[in-house]
Amino acid sequence: MPLFEQYHAIIPDFSRFQQSLHNPLPVHLRVNRLLITPQRLKEYLAKKDVHVKQVLSPHDTLYVAPGLESPGNLLEYYLGYIHPQALTSALAAIALSPEPGAYLLDMCAAPGGKSAHCAELMNNTGLVVANDLYAMRHMALGHTLSRLGVLNAVMTAYQAQQFPLRQRFDYVLADVPCSGEGRFRKTRADAQFREHKGGVKLTDLQRRIILRGFDLLKPGGEMLYSTCTYNPDENESVVHYLLQKRPATLCPIQVTADVEPGILKWRDQRYDQRLSRAERFYPHRIDSVGFFMARIIKE
Amino acid sequence: MFDGYFLFRRKKAWFLLQNSPQLVHASQLKISKAGLRAFQKVGHFIKPTTRLIQSFGRHATKGTCQVDEKQFKALLRGEEIPVDFQLAKGYVMLTLGTNRILGLGFFHNHAIRSQLPQKELTSHVMI
Repeated sequence: MPLFEQYHAIIPDFSRFQQSLHNPLPVHLRVNRLLITPQRLKEYLAKKDVHVKQVLSPHDTLYVAPGLESPGNLLEYYLGYIHPQALTSALAAIALSPEPGAYLLDMCAAPGGKSAHCAELMNNTGLVVANDLYAMRHMALGHTLSRLGVLNAVMTAYQAQQFPLRQRFDYVLADVPCSGEGRFRKTRADAQFREHKGGVKLTDLQRRIILRGFDLLKPGGEMLYSTCTYNPDENESVVHYLLQKRPATLCPIQVTADVEPGILKWRDQRYDQRLSRAERFYPHRIDSVGFFMARIIKE
Repeated sequence: MFDGYFLFRRKKAWFLLQNSPQLVHASQLKISKAGLRAFQKVGHFIKPTTRLIQSFGRHATKGTCQVDEKQFKALLRGEEIPVDFQLAKGYVMLTLGTNRILGLGFFHNHAIRSQLPQKELTSHVMI
């Protein structure tokens, strides 16, 4: 059976979607405005024959680097000027758009690209709580934050679904553990494909995390729920569960990209109509990791 | 320059964290790391970290040394580069050209040797 055949009915242009899985993932770079301007970075890279192209017109920190195989070897990586990051991952922080001076929680923060991006959007003001349960992942998280010049972050190691309720945040980023289907490309021999991995346990964890994330918001606070999977059981179904359990509102996501709305029906399940405000990112549309985002507001 | 920041010590290192009203709330959490490791004690010296220098070095008015690509590569190979400074023995900030702040070197006996992180700057680095 072809890969992801179970999604034939929900992924538009399904044959193009499947073809896109044969293409290698392009290298995307995010420019770290805390340490460099996009213009100056482009000049430095051009001198070493690395010619980057802006990928989405309003977002002048997001670039594709054709032909660049190892961005981690660039001096500009060491200097903290760039962060190699899937385009869709970079769009998560932009979708949340935290204001300077805000109080933000990244519930599952390692390896830290999104936390650092939020800190940059907040111009190193306010406070980012970068949480990740696993101590072994804290090294990567700490390295990313310091390399990118983040000065407004603290790290914690709670289970996301049990993060203490003693305080409330302006923003919560819940980029939850998922089956990772969106990362799969057929070009990599070691590609991790977890089509049937996780199952009920994973969706149960995602449900508990989204509820806790919502409960941690101040009134008027915003949460972004995201995954890198196509599976509606980990996406729309989880957000639908939140909408049933809590007085949450779903808002449109303000990113300029070729996206599809969240689905309202999957197998025998029907989802809240508001799920059409969620967004699905497919590799044949945006040439990046498959992704799902829902922007949630606590009234 | 460091108004608006907290500098706090933990063992032999000092960490720099942006002050904000939210810190009162965050103090209720069990924090494993806060802010940027800014300084560490090395022998008799208080040594700034590479990442502190890269974030704040643009404000430096003395103790800086501009190197070219050839000198930078020599430092990466572990060689000393001769310089003619009227400075006391100690750390200097290294920049590649005028703007790219590399980190620290150590000035002694009319020469600078690299204090740049060897693990991060391998021979594969594309300068």
